[in-house]
Amino acid sequence: MVKISVLQHAPSTHLPARPGDPTPTSRNLDPLMHPFARARERTRALNAVKMERMFAKPFIASLEGHVDAVETMARKPETLDIVASGSWDGGLIVHDVSRRTRLLQIEDAHKGKVSGVCFGQDDRLLSCGVDRNIKLWDSHKGFEQDESAAGPSARKPISIFPGKTAFNSIDHHRYDPLFATGSNLVQVWDETKSAAISNLTLPTSTETVTAVRFNLAEASVLASIGSDRSFTLYDIRTGKAERRIIMQMRSNALSWSPTFPTTVLLASEDHNLYTFDIRALNTPTQIYKAHVAAVMSCDWSPTGLEFVSGGWDRTVRIWKEGAGTQPEVYHTKRMQRVTSTLYSGDSRFVLSGSDDGNVRIWKAHASDKLGIVTARERAAIEYRQGLKARWKGDAEVSKIARTRHLPRPVHKAAQLKREMLDAARVKEERRRKHTRAGENKPKAARKKVVIAEQS
Amino acid sequence: MDSLFAKADAIKPLNKKRRTDGRDSRPKPGPSKKPAAAPTADPTAASVSQHTALPRSLRPSSPPPEDAKKYGHIHNKKLRTTLTRQSTQNARSRLLVKDAELLLAEEAGLMEVEGEMEKTWRVGQDEVAAAAGQQGAQGRQEWKMDGGPYRTRYTRNGRHIAVVGKKGHVATFDWQTGTLHAELQLGETCRDITFLQDHSHFAVAQNKYVFIYDRDGVELHKLKSHIEPTRLEFLPYHWLLVSIGNPGYLKYQDTSTGQLVVEHRTKLGACQTMCQNPHNAVIHLGHQNGTVTLWTPNLPHPAVRLLAHMGPVASVSVDPSTGGRYMASAGEDGTVKVWDCRNWKGAVRTWNARGGSAELEWSQKGALAVATGGSVNVYAKPSIQTPFAPHVAPPLYLTHAVPHRPLTSVRFCPFQDVLSVAHAAGVSSILVPGAGEPNFDSAEADPFENKKARREREVKGLLDKIQPDAITLDPSFIGSLAPTPVLSTAVDGAHSIPYARLPRYERLRAAGKADETEEHLSADPADGTGAGVSTQSKAEKERNRMRGKNKSMKRFLRKQRKNVVDPRALAVKKSLEGAREARRKARALASGEEGPQKYSALDRFKRAS
Repeated sequence: MVKISVLQHAPSTHLPARPGDPTPTSRNLDPLMHPFARARERTRALNAVKMERMFAKPFIASLEGHVDAVETMARKPETLDIVASGSWDGGLIVHDVSRRTRLLQIEDAHKGKVSGVCFGQDDRLLSCGVDRNIKLWDSHKGFEQDESAAGPSARKPISIFPGKTAFNSIDHHRYDPLFATGSNLVQVWDETKSAAISNLTLPTSTETVTAVRFNLAEASVLASIGSDRSFTLYDIRTGKAERRIIMQMRSNALSWSPTFPTTVLLASEDHNLYTFDIRALNTPTQIYKAHVAAVMSCDWSPTGLEFVSGGWDRTVRIWKEGAGTQPEVYHTKRMQRVTSTLYSGDSRFVLSGSDDGNVRIWKAHASDKLGIVTARERAAIEYRQGLKARWKGDAEVSKIARTRHLPRPVHKAAQLKREMLDAARVKEERRRKHTRAGENKPKAARKKVVIAEQS
Repeated sequence: MDSLFAKADAIKPLNKKRRTDGRDSRPKPGPSKKPAAAPTADPTAASVSQHTALPRSLRPSSPPPEDAKKYGHIHNKKLRTTLTRQSTQNARSRLLVKDAELLLAEEAGLMEVEGEMEKTWRVGQDEVAAAAGQQGAQGRQEWKMDGGPYRTRYTRNGRHIAVVGKKGHVATFDWQTGTLHAELQLGETCRDITFLQDHSHFAVAQNKYVFIYDRDGVELHKLKSHIEPTRLEFLPYHWLLVSIGNPGYLKYQDTSTGQLVVEHRTKLGACQTMCQNPHNAVIHLGHQNGTVTLWTPNLPHPAVRLLAHMGPVASVSVDPSTGGRYMASAGEDGTVKVWDCRNWKGAVRTWNARGGSAELEWSQKGALAVATGGSVNVYAKPSIQTPFAPHVAPPLYLTHAVPHRPLTSVRFCPFQDVLSVAHAAGVSSILVPGAGEPNFDSAEADPFENKKARREREVKGLLDKIQPDAITLDPSFIGSLAPTPVLSTAVDGAHSIPYARLPRYERLRAAGKADETEEHLSADPADGTGAGVSTQSKAEKERNRMRGKNKSMKRFLRKQRKNVVDPRALAVKKSLEGAREARRKARALASGEEGPQKYSALDRFKRAS
């Protein structure tokens, strides 16, 4: 007796039970049923990375209002999007970034440029300028009245702290009503007293201090950078400078990591950024190389995993902590030298203030989708990200992911810089080749940054 | 400042190592003693997950499987974490695949005998159809048409069939419901037909050119570059229509862009036989002089050229059930040969088919149908692929006589136990239990898909289209590791590139920081003589090897050359002399001064030394 059975697909299991129902699907994971699975996945990865570049439209809006270069910006602590900006024309604006409105505008806050701005406690705003004054403003009134009653120029500060020299930078203590300023010396002020309560400068120093910042975890630790290529740490409780390093080139901006208390980021004149662990100041933990001109400003993302920098080369770059090359780079035709940069409180957006007097809003991740993302869409996005991560070693995929079209001057400058560095390296190699073996050993780039360390 | 440092020291970054230049007083992270916390169930996620498809990042993860590789030997923490995560994911997906066998709900057909004396080939179609039941018996049909010898082709999901007659009769229809899509009388010689991505388009090889029609039979394109085509194939994942014709040109046309991708001159004359390997999209051609050639778009010459038969090749087919490893070819001389595509040295199995040239086709499950003379024979899987020297036909699985000669094409229907035999008087389809794959995958081919799903598949297929130059004999080369680059200027492992310009891996290796653990691990168990020997890499051994004369040995002997008779020194001297003598002999032999010594009868008495 022969046993016979013939393959039959029961339509009841493969067709929808009622009209309108979804058609049942069936799966067979046998690899023979899925020929070219790898090749197709690579095609999908290519498509994913191409789509990422296609949707990379990072520019969102520009906030106008300043007449001259935006010198400084500060985000109000514990808010996502209230940002104050000060300009070379002496104007001061508080922006509501999400509504793109001005909450407060003071046209002649200072004579000459506003060199520093920061938020104090209770909606109070501090600004300093080259007119040797620090002014304390009540921004709360502005939030309600919205510059209608008093008029932008007639607003009076709550108090004025006169100084002896032009101020370059200001930062407020996190809890106490104290703030620090940098001029030719570092001073600590009390909001209720009209004169500085202490001078922190090293006795031997004749520098100009360009930036001061309080540490975010240990609020009494203060860091400053100066024109004598120094980076100095102070403790305001002891009132003394604790450590100082002299670097190869001077730094232009300074930012403390919000998540890792001992990490500090310096934006240097030599086109690089450096992160230091202040427990070991003799070498930076990482050098970040991509700018082709001096880096003018930097700011950490609130997550502490990324930071933004703006440079004299008219680009804004977004770096991953620990990855020293190939940052995301933003530029537009009309954006001039970027003098200040800032992360938003939710780390999704980046602000840049530049020489052309605009504050620009950018996405922190260029191809992010704004607005509501459905679960299905998010799953697709995550799948694409997984594909990109999986195929990042593929030459074509990585090339598409990596390539950025830069403005011609930036591109040329990068080329030139690379050529010069190559030439220097070749010269060094030849010199080493023709000297006695072991006489001049190559020195790691990290070890060349710090010249001297004092404590 | 100290309190700040204390704060920073207390923070343990999750997976990153901060360089603090050796002043880091934190304890070295070792294997943690604490057992890993069980994944906590997030009540919100649990409530949501019942109603939605959660994105992967929000899904609760199961504990890592046991057999995941750990990569403990890798120092770089980040790399180690990544590799461990990957291996965990792989292990997890292996488990999931094992679980997914539950999804294979349907059973393949079969025909089994109980006794030794019973044979499956004695079972006739009436008996099979009676056993199949009403729905299964649908596959047994006779379509009588008078358009000359016919050829047939199924869509990839097996739902639709296209028939073409030599005299120009073309029809496409859903053979299960009997819905006719298009019926054309083209009025000229038609030699082959193929569906494109699905039943919405089909291409016909007509007298002079290839024409593309849509589902309703409206002529869409006349492909004038394909001249006098004889056979057509469609590569579904590359969207390529391939044709071969009487001029002997193999042409690839991209049906998504309309470009003629490439045309290869076979230089072997008119060709009547073509098939594709569904697993690597290589085209197999059978020629008049008995060669079978394998073609890819990016090679201007065949990737493989094989003299398969002594006469013209009549038919070629590739086995889809083994990932394209076996090829069957039939010649006009009446032989059928099964070849192993990994090793072309001789056929795996050869036999003579009665009745002249045969038409061949493998089914999804690996049954081989051979149509010769007036009957179709089906052979089942293990026996046709096991090497067997005598020229005897393998045990027959099923046979069916068709009274209309010649039999011009045999095609298995995907996902069905149906074989359609096209002949002079139409098409007859017969039942072959166990030929079709029972479980289809809706993502690849679905016999039950509706219009919307078909459209969606078309779009997805276009998005996933593989470029034609990715076709190679080994489809897994995409995504495999590139070989380690060899420095181009290196001579005997030495090069003049300065350290700073070396590639990263070479620099790491020069600094002794390259991760060569894997190589060591693989090298260790091989010799196992001593730890000191195995730690030396091959390159190091080569470097340390003494060149030229054996100096150290000579130095040793020189030191021993005093008036002391030392048995050790004597032994060494003797062995050196022996080696020298052997060298001399070898030199003399090579230069022809001495002939090789003949073995004489007295040599057996020689004392063994």
